[in-house]
Amino acid sequence: MENRHIKLKIKRQDSPDSLPWWEEFCIPYKPNMNIVSVLMEIRKNPVNSKGEKTNPVVWECNCLEEVCGACSMLINGIPKQACASLIDKIYEKTGFEKKIVLEPLKKFPVIRDLTIDRHSMFDNLKRIKAWVSVDGSFAIGRGPRFAEREQKWAYVISRCMTCGCCQEACPNVNPKSNFIGPSAIAQVRLFNTHPIGAMHKEIRLNALMSNGGIQECGNAQNCRKVCPKEIPLTTHIAALNRDTVKYSIWRWFSE
Amino acid sequence: MNYKKSNFLIRKVHSLLAIIPMGLFIILHITLNSSVFYGGITAYKTVINVMQNIPLITEAEIIIIAIPIIFHAIYGLWIVYLAKNNVLTYTYYRNWAFYLQRITAVITLIYLLFHVAILRFLNHDASVIISVLNRTLQNPLFFILYVIGVLSAIYHFTNGIFSFLISWGVIVNDKSQKVLQYIVLLLFVLLGGLSVGILGKITYF
Repeated sequence: MENRHIKLKIKRQDSPDSLPWWEEFCIPYKPNMNIVSVLMEIRKNPVNSKGEKTNPVVWECNCLEEVCGACSMLINGIPKQACASLIDKIYEKTGFEKKIVLEPLKKFPVIRDLTIDRHSMFDNLKRIKAWVSVDGSFAIGRGPRFAEREQKWAYVISRCMTCGCCQEACPNVNPKSNFIGPSAIAQVRLFNTHPIGAMHKEIRLNALMSNGGIQECGNAQNCRKVCPKEIPLTTHIAALNRDTVKYSIWRWFSE
Repeated sequence: MNYKKSNFLIRKVHSLLAIIPMGLFIILHITLNSSVFYGGITAYKTVINVMQNIPLITEAEIIIIAIPIIFHAIYGLWIVYLAKNNVLTYTYYRNWAFYLQRITAVITLIYLLFHVAILRFLNHDASVIISVLNRTLQNPLFFILYVIGVLSAIYHFTNGIFSFLISWGVIVNDKSQKVLQYIVLLLFVLLGGLSVGILGKITYF
């Protein structure tokens, strides 16, 4: 066991404007490691597989339990959370000591190495007003109750951690298109179902029907497959297709 | 909220036109062509003659067929351009269907241009159309090209039914999406089989 190693190939980039390059690392194997702990080993001893001293790889992480969304990266080409990607599990699929490839997500600007800027997703959340408005100049009392039947599935949407995996996998989210992407669409479902949030339902539907909105979805359904929080994104997109079609007809004839 | 500038309506109409009238027309077209199985060359000739003598047929061709197809094709090419396909990374069936939908779109468009030019504009007489088609299909290369064209059109149509029903919000939950997926695949097999059968029959007239 002692002389076994974890081989890594990491796509590195010094600054947002510089060109990326590849660097390989070789870390002594220990059982039960994950990608974050492997990256920490590199930080302890920043030497690449050729034995040259190098800058430690930069990445972002936070909660270490797959709820914050900060450590999203491409692990062997698939967007995942580094903290929840166990080395032993990866080797079960690929075979022991197979090189593990780490890249930053490609749909977001790179800040440095594996750190990306997920600002576009937070802007999308602002665009669709992904919150419940309760602020006012006087107390307005208790709001209506959230029916338990709806709480059950709406809670699943609230697990979204804006990690960007769905945006990464979506073929219609790319520099050529202005598609808002699956994550924000699901949030519209959550806040339009919430009894207080529903009071601003039309504002969110209008935002979702503006340029780059829900109509740009092409049903590739990758989002659903890669979502680490197992949110049934495709169901929520379909449900909002229904809501926006209904609303657009209503808007046409009755507004 | 300036929603008037949005492409929401154009996207929905783009999807709807592919079903009504274009999809209905494909069904009608295949149904009429299947007359080759019920009376061979004579029945086929009669069907073509009847079709050509429907009152206001030219106007109907322009309004019901030509304009929707031209709009769908032009806007559709824009949609094809917008996607950045990734089937090699994400090898799920729906992602392949998404990619195939775009590939078949382009193949169908090229096929349709030839199909309409040769069998609608260059030749208009029933017996000429049949003999041209018969001679062309006897060449194995053209037979294969024809099969690819026809199957592309049918895949694009049947998979398009799936996307249409979702983008118009008819089908929502997982179970119905799954059932619909199987239904459209079955429809592809049935319509595809029938169409290839028709081509085979015409080849051996």
